[in-house]
Amino acid sequence: MTDLLEATSDPTLPPMITAHNIQKWYGSFQVLKGVDLEVSPQEVVVLMGPSGSGKSTLIRTLNGLETHEQGRIVIDGVELTQNPKHLEAVRREVGMVFQQFNLFPHLTVLQNITLAPIWVKRLPKLAAQEKALQLLERVGILEQAQKYPGQLSGGQQQRVAIARALAMEPKIMLFDEPTSALDPEMIKEVLDVMRSLAESGMTMIIVTHEVGFAREVAHRILLMDGGQVVEQATPEEFFTNPKEERSRQFLAQILG
Amino acid sequence: MEPLPLKQKLNLPSLPSLRATWQWLRQNLLSTWYNILLTIFCLWVIVWVGGGLTHWAIALAQWQVVTDNLRLILVGRYPVEQLWRLWLVLGLMVGVKTFSWGTLQSWQRKHLLRVALVGVGAILLALVSQADGTSLGWVGAIALVALGSSSLATWCRQQALWPRLQPWLPLGWLVSAGLILWLISGGAGLTPVSTTFWNGLLLTVLVATLSIVLSFPLGVLLALGRRSSLPILRGLSIGYIELVRGLPLIGILFMAQVMFPLLLPPQITLDALARAIAGLTLFSAAYLAETVRGGLQSLPTGQWEAAKALGFSTPLTLGLIILPQALRAVIPAIVGQFIGLFKDTALLSIVGLVELTGIARSITAQPEYLGRYAEVYLVLGLIYWVFCYGMSLASRRLEHRFSDR
Ligand SMILES: Nc1ncnc2c1ncn2[C@@H]1O[C@H](COP(=O)(O)OP(=O)(O)OP(=O)(O)O)[C@@H](O)[C@H]1O
Ligand SMILES: [Mg+2]
Repeated sequence: MTDLLEATSDPTLPPMITAHNIQKWYGSFQVLKGVDLEVSPQEVVVLMGPSGSGKSTLIRTLNGLETHEQGRIVIDGVELTQNPKHLEAVRREVGMVFQQFNLFPHLTVLQNITLAPIWVKRLPKLAAQEKALQLLERVGILEQAQKYPGQLSGGQQQRVAIARALAMEPKIMLFDEPTSALDPEMIKEVLDVMRSLAESGMTMIIVTHEVGFAREVAHRILLMDGGQVVEQATPEEFFTNPKEERSRQFLAQILG
Repeated sequence: MEPLPLKQKLNLPSLPSLRATWQWLRQNLLSTWYNILLTIFCLWVIVWVGGGLTHWAIALAQWQVVTDNLRLILVGRYPVEQLWRLWLVLGLMVGVKTFSWGTLQSWQRKHLLRVALVGVGAILLALVSQADGTSLGWVGAIALVALGSSSLATWCRQQALWPRLQPWLPLGWLVSAGLILWLISGGAGLTPVSTTFWNGLLLTVLVATLSIVLSFPLGVLLALGRRSSLPILRGLSIGYIELVRGLPLIGILFMAQVMFPLLLPPQITLDALARAIAGLTLFSAAYLAETVRGGLQSLPTGQWEAAKALGFSTPLTLGLIILPQALRAVIPAIVGQFIGLFKDTALLSIVGLVELTGIARSITAQPEYLGRYAEVYLVLGLIYWVFCYGMSLASRRLEHRFSDR
């Protein structure tokens, strides 16, 4: 695992994501207290931490869904600003998968997936549909293409959401607790899709509490607490020999 | 194989047996002593009211006031020699409607009843109006138009090119709306007919349709303005909505008649009809805005976030994701408001526009029909009801169509 980390942190490649000293307030409450983060191409980073530590807020600032008051974010060489045109350009490169799926309930599965390629990327409809069907096959639900999201199980919906994000051919994928709203028997099907995505070389940042998955897929694990990154380590180190006292407490809690 | 019984072969609904009927009665109407009392009471009310009404309608009422004035009720003082234009308008409307409808779904046997009802109604109206044979001729011609356009629609649907052409259908509606307005008002080759001669049902339907069509986009824009993050836009929208909702419609109609000439530059003169439509539109838009806002607020923020995360701009997010869902959620409320707007046009008679209610008042004021209020107002009520119930049905069908999503 240590080798993997080294292999993916090739210093000759420019980083995919650079976040420097990110600070954010909700009113007088500081959610992010100066977070630094650098993610190399093809790297898979898992964010862990107790509830309220700012994990969601951090990854949502990375595609501009949340604004930050201080610090810089550079995505694939483009600085994130408040200019709507820049924001839209960056978001086309960064796919996001939400805890609650957030599919568009008035559209079929196929329309959900083709909507952005057609309207945002101006892909011809037929090409977009062909691509969508390929993606549906990849996430294993080709036969559901003509259904509405409300007719699918949670696991199927989340796989559609992943396919929808992939349809924009993003360079980075962000996952915010993608399996937390799922029944236990559906978690695996979603994690399998994410695992194969990681194997295909996608750059990913994942917020999750799935220890087994994190251990297997992550190149690096970040522990957040109180708006700060408390520890960064390879999964091996993090789960067997954490350096920080806070990490030990957290692991004791989630491993029971 | 056993031959099927005739009834099943013809696919007739089997009549409930006497026994089943009695069972149903016992269970639903006669289950307890108070249920029996209630049933008897309701029956008595129905017989008493229904019987009285029937007796009045057959023995006492003098329907001549209605049959003599049918043309006045329907089209008012629109010049008789120009009436062919209104028939054309009707034909155009029927043609466009049957065509659009036919391109959406195929003909089924259950539609026969509806068509038969409309047909019988039209023939009865044409007969009652007594003018001469021409009415009947027009009704026949329009029936042919309906038949032709629905067959045309079926044929179009089978063509390979149709999916590419279908998106242009709304353009067809726009063109025919323009044609209709031109046919009614004249000019450009046709004898102009002043708006003061557009009365009765013609005026009611025209005003209601235009106000509905105009107030809808305005209401949506106001709702979006009210939820905007730009303080000035939001402030203006809230101010407008709250101001209009605090005023009575009749006040707004009066103000529209006096204020527009004061506000607009002197070169532009709006005639009384346009001023009334503007007043109704401005009034209705404020209420619509609040309804649409309800729909917008019912959507989870996740919908916005998912759209943003995919790179959609705000206008695209609104048009493709937010508004379709928000409007769908409030169809019944919106149609309810349109029904209200349709009936509110009755107030126009107070500001000097002789629509349905106004024409009824002038009919009952004629010396030879003095005191024949009941007949006229009953027919009036029936006409309003038919239109409002039609809208209600349309709303239900729309809801039903979206219910599986
Ligand atoms: N819109 C908001 N307004 C005010 N405070 C907020 C808002 N959103 C989040 N917070 C606060 O910011 C802190 C961090 O929230 P965040 O959602 O990032 O935590 P998290 O690490 O994702 O937690 P969880 O594991 O529960 O999802 C929390 O204390 C939360 O209460
Ligand atoms: Mg969270």
